Amino acid sequence: MTDQSAVLADVRRGMIPAHIYNDQEIFTLEKERIFSRAWVFVAHESEIARAGDYVVRRVLDDSFIVTRDEAGEIRAHFNMCLHRGMQVCRAEMGNASHFRCPYHGWSYRNDGRIVGLPFHQDAYGGEAGFKRKGQRLLPAPNLDSHNGMIFISLDPDALPLRDFLGDFAFYLDYYTKQSPSGIEMRGPQRWRVKANWKIGAENFAGDMYHTPQTHTSVVEIGLFREPKAEKRKDGCTYWAGNGGGTTYKLPDGDLEERLSYVGYPQEMIERMKTSWSAEQCRVIGQDGFMISAASVFPNLSFVHNWPRVADSDDVLPFISVRQWQPISENETEILSWFAVDAEAPEEFKALSYKAYLMCFGSTGMFEQDDVENWVSLTNTAAGSMARRLRLNSRMGILADDTEVIPALTAEQFAGPGSAHVGYSEYNQRELLARWADHLERPVTAAAALHVGTTGVGEDRRAIATRNGADASDDPPALEHVPSEDAAEVTGA
Amino acid sequence: MSSSRENREQVTTQTHSSRSVLGAHASRIQRLGSTLPFGDERHLAAHQWLVDEAYLLDAQAYEAWLDLLTEDIHYLMPVRVTTALGAGFDTSPGMAHFDEDKYSLSRRVARFLTEHAWTEDPPSRLRHHLSNVRTFATPDEEHLIVESATMLFRNRGDVRESSFISAGREDLLRRGPMPDGSGWQLARRTIMVDESVMRMQNLAIFL
Ligand code: FES
Ligand SMILES: [Fe+2]
Repeated sequence: MTDQSAVLADVRRGMIPAHIYNDQEIFTLEKERIFSRAWVFVAHESEIARAGDYVVRRVLDDSFIVTRDEAGEIRAHFNMCLHRGMQVCRAEMGNASHFRCPYHGWSYRNDGRIVGLPFHQDAYGGEAGFKRKGQRLLPAPNLDSHNGMIFISLDPDALPLRDFLGDFAFYLDYYTKQSPSGIEMRGPQRWRVKANWKIGAENFAGDMYHTPQTHTSVVEIGLFREPKAEKRKDGCTYWAGNGGGTTYKLPDGDLEERLSYVGYPQEMIERMKTSWSAEQCRVIGQDGFMISAASVFPNLSFVHNWPRVADSDDVLPFISVRQWQPISENETEILSWFAVDAEAPEEFKALSYKAYLMCFGSTGMFEQDDVENWVSLTNTAAGSMARRLRLNSRMGILADDTEVIPALTAEQFAGPGSAHVGYSEYNQRELLARWADHLERPVTAAAALHVGTTGVGEDRRAIATRNGADASDDPPALEHVPSEDAAEVTGA
Repeated sequence: MSSSRENREQVTTQTHSSRSVLGAHASRIQRLGSTLPFGDERHLAAHQWLVDEAYLLDAQAYEAWLDLLTEDIHYLMPVRVTTALGAGFDTSPGMAHFDEDKYSLSRRVARFLTEHAWTEDPPSRLRHHLSNVRTFATPDEEHLIVESATMLFRNRGDVRESSFISAGREDLLRRGPMPDGSGWQLARRTIMVDESVMRMQNLAIFL
């Protein structure tokens, strides 16, 4: 494999070799060194609210059944039959107490345990030949959640999710904890675009500079009153922990006035005031910054905007969560969810959903123009000329790395991390610096797991699995208050 | 525009629109009986309406297209999901690609008419292929239900791969808008796309 150290060095000084947006070798490295160890978002708990609910989600090539078992625990099973490797569940979502493999009929409880193995005695000589007891679908090596957002990591030794998120968790609350009940998520809309996955993640992380140009048309039609060029640069970008985002500077007012300015009804504002810390309230109420787009490394993004949804001056805020799922070096599957505070009034939920559809997602008017840019960029990055080009991603800093505009002080911005007013590419650099750190660090080969036998070279987890699921060796799962509804079993 | 017959229908019937998040306002009129004969005047009128509409959409003549829609139009394109046989649903609950009223459609059209809708500059080449048209009577003379299949071919630029969308549609046509009662307008459309993961970069198009 080509030595990429020169590429990583360029990226670290904010000079981007243009070919990283369409390079097969780079993509192979990304698969191995980013997506086999970073925490990757798979689902929100509200998508699998009842026992037996499941969604099937991928981490690149690996398919996982993300389900709530009968005890209310959330699990992620690798979607491959332990027998000959058939895909166990071929639906995208549903409710099931068991999954039966269509090939030879092995069946698994929704907690992953194998319960049916046709002709176990005749074919294998029973337990003596194949140890069925304690076998379960391969669990995701690591599983954790924050504010109901479920992530998995393919690295059994991954840092705890909360440590991975770091101080970005402060900002995550604006999107996912507007009340004690958190959000409910609907969707996703899924579609594939011929664009490299990093471009969207970088754009959402910090590209306030594109708004006045790319999104001119949505301002012209009166959909959005904010992104006038001079307005956008009054906002700040912030980076904290493993994520960062953009904000708008709101007109004068206190917390309530500003939340109301973007369209939140009073009863929701009251819940936000009790759900957020003093500092979280201060960022909006005193400092005057309202969060907008954001990204968490590597490929999860958020949007919060407030368009007009009817022929009036009122605006309505919406939240969207999205994932840039890499398909190849030049193709990305976008998964775009609508998210809304679970305690919001029904009328608000409906109008917020309307705002989402008009702005983002497969039909969104902001989104339409973004994607066109990213597809063209990816296409142009494939050739040999792109290999000569080092794109300047140093906006916001001078040649000697000093800041064009100094960072906001703690008095000016109450949030953690570092924040800068104005157009800059601090966040794109932060995101790609993490990208470079991951690509530089080789991964150790994962231990093999042997099904139904005492093979040589099994790791501890495999043995634990074989010996049965006693408490200490239970695979990663999220403890849960069992849901009140009884499971309705439809089969899968 | 609602007869007492329609009101009765509204109480009792469910449509894709009535089950969607933003379609409560939509007419709930449904089909009556089996397919009208292909020689029936009503079928001929409905078929011609769809063909004329397809030409407008190919030409991106969206202002003219907007005039074909009633004020209470509900334009719905659910998100399809793969579910087990017998699951009882195959669309994503509470989510859609389009869940539009006249206002939101008019904003989409207005955007295309600005000079800064980059995604369509240069414009796509579009061809809406239309087939499998069948027409049904409804409880009143003012409405027809028309089903059709559509295949949209879209090409952008010179060397980019083309993309397709295949979908089935169910339309509710209402008599009008001419004062003498001639002509037809679209009052409700449900677009059942045949993919759960779309292969088109965006839906800056109409079906
Ligand atoms: S592959 Fe699943 S039962 Fe054989
Ligand atoms: Fe954008």
